[in-house]
Amino acid sequence: MSTTRRAAVVGVYTTEQGKRLGRTKVSLELEAIKGALADAGLAHTDVDGLSPLLAEPWSKTHMYWAEQLGERPITYIGTGQGEGAVAKAAAAISAGTCNVALAWVANAGGGNAPGSKAVPTAAPRLPDFHWEIQGAYMTPLYALWAQRYMHEFGASSEDLAQVAVIHRDHAVLNPDSVMGRKGPVTIEDVVNSRMVADPLHLLDCSIENDGGYALVLAAEDIAKDCRKTPVWVLGGAEATATDVYQTFNNPWFPEEGKSVRRCTDMAFDIAGVSRSEIDVANLYDCFTITMLRNLEEMGFCKIGEGAEYVREGHTRLGGSMPCNTDGGLLSNSHNGNPSGMNVIEVVRQLRGECGERQVADARIGLALGQGGSVHGLASTVVLAHD
Amino acid sequence: MTAPYLKPLPQISEENRPFWDGLSAREFRGPRCRSCGQFGWVPYPACRNCFSTDIEWVPLSGRGVIYSYSIVHRGPAAFAGDVPYVVVMVELDEQPQPMIVLGQLDDCPLDQVRVGLPVSVTFHDIPGEDVTLYRFSPSAPVGSTGGG
Repeated sequence: MSTTRRAAVVGVYTTEQGKRLGRTKVSLELEAIKGALADAGLAHTDVDGLSPLLAEPWSKTHMYWAEQLGERPITYIGTGQGEGAVAKAAAAISAGTCNVALAWVANAGGGNAPGSKAVPTAAPRLPDFHWEIQGAYMTPLYALWAQRYMHEFGASSEDLAQVAVIHRDHAVLNPDSVMGRKGPVTIEDVVNSRMVADPLHLLDCSIENDGGYALVLAAEDIAKDCRKTPVWVLGGAEATATDVYQTFNNPWFPEEGKSVRRCTDMAFDIAGVSRSEIDVANLYDCFTITMLRNLEEMGFCKIGEGAEYVREGHTRLGGSMPCNTDGGLLSNSHNGNPSGMNVIEVVRQLRGECGERQVADARIGLALGQGGSVHGLASTVVLAHD
Repeated sequence: MTAPYLKPLPQISEENRPFWDGLSAREFRGPRCRSCGQFGWVPYPACRNCFSTDIEWVPLSGRGVIYSYSIVHRGPAAFAGDVPYVVVMVELDEQPQPMIVLGQLDDCPLDQVRVGLPVSVTFHDIPGEDVTLYRFSPSAPVGSTGGG
């Protein structure tokens, strides 16, 4: 077997996404897996690699699903964010340790929002220096980042808000998005929405909903017989540098960048693609500030210039690199681990399946996942069709 | 009668006990590496600079400046009744490696919270629990200019 055979995303599927679907997690997972395999034209018996995007320790999740898929040996046991999972599964396929890999996740009722947990009847004990002891949760932690960013670079709430406006405009063109049906929003709508954790308003924050999705990757020889145009994994990488929401080091915005910069540089190097060649991108936008920082760290503009880059219209449909054309985490879906939704949207764009939001002649696409920290854990993948 | 404390509290382990014992004794301690002299926050079992395990807990000034802050208007579960409250990241005075400590700020009008504001640690025994927590207050009294 060649050790350089290519790998492609050959199947994608998203279930209905929405608040409280009344479904179980496993029913969403099964629908997503069956759907992605059907999209590829493959059978569950073809699968020999598993990458659940939220996994229990000690490979328990992989063992459950290996049995569910028919007790055949699974020879690639992976996990990660969507982008990292795709990059690693592609590497496993190229190395010959599996032929068809699944990456998937579903959320049913879980969440990070402050209302998602009840008041306990006794003080819970958390590990050491846990942020929740200090009354922090995801939004205040990203708000601290946004506040410091605004302090250092003079960015305004309006600078952040424009991200929410653009991603909502894209969601309006995506009939499957959770927020698109609510119509567009203006900068005034965003900055006048309820303050959650200063400086982040409600509309600066991603939504939180139920839903599932799956991706199928296959080796070149299998991919060419699949139902749809293969979307090749040109290169991808992941990086982590900081502990889970516990370590914050000054400077927070170093010139040389951190994890997002590292995995993105590696992904472009491996892919042999330059930034100017990217036709479409979906970048993890858990908050508006995250999108500005993504664009800076990924090298599309200088540090501190993310707002100006967005204001110039690059990330809008019709711009030089339309981003988050599905509406992103801000307006499409945040379903437990939405990182792989970014990969799916790029795959659909490269296949030309995006209807009103289609980027004309999209050939090379980019996806970024991050989380579990403030830009401390990240992964990037570059995709293309022939 | 005091209502029970229902917010999360730390699990105290052998590794971190000197820190929590320090709070109880009204001392804010930090880990310093005997090998290279660097401080590190949050504490790790080995130095994050030179990887030495020769770490000592030393009393710190408990003083620093606000590195960043967020006025939280929607709190999780047990914090819901506290809103608005101020979460701060404080860069402690100790050098050479700045330590950024996450905590809450008291005694400061909301319109006076700013990056760079000098603050100091305060100590809070939790009724009915064997834990003392730390919080921050402005190092000098801060008056409101209205609003807040």
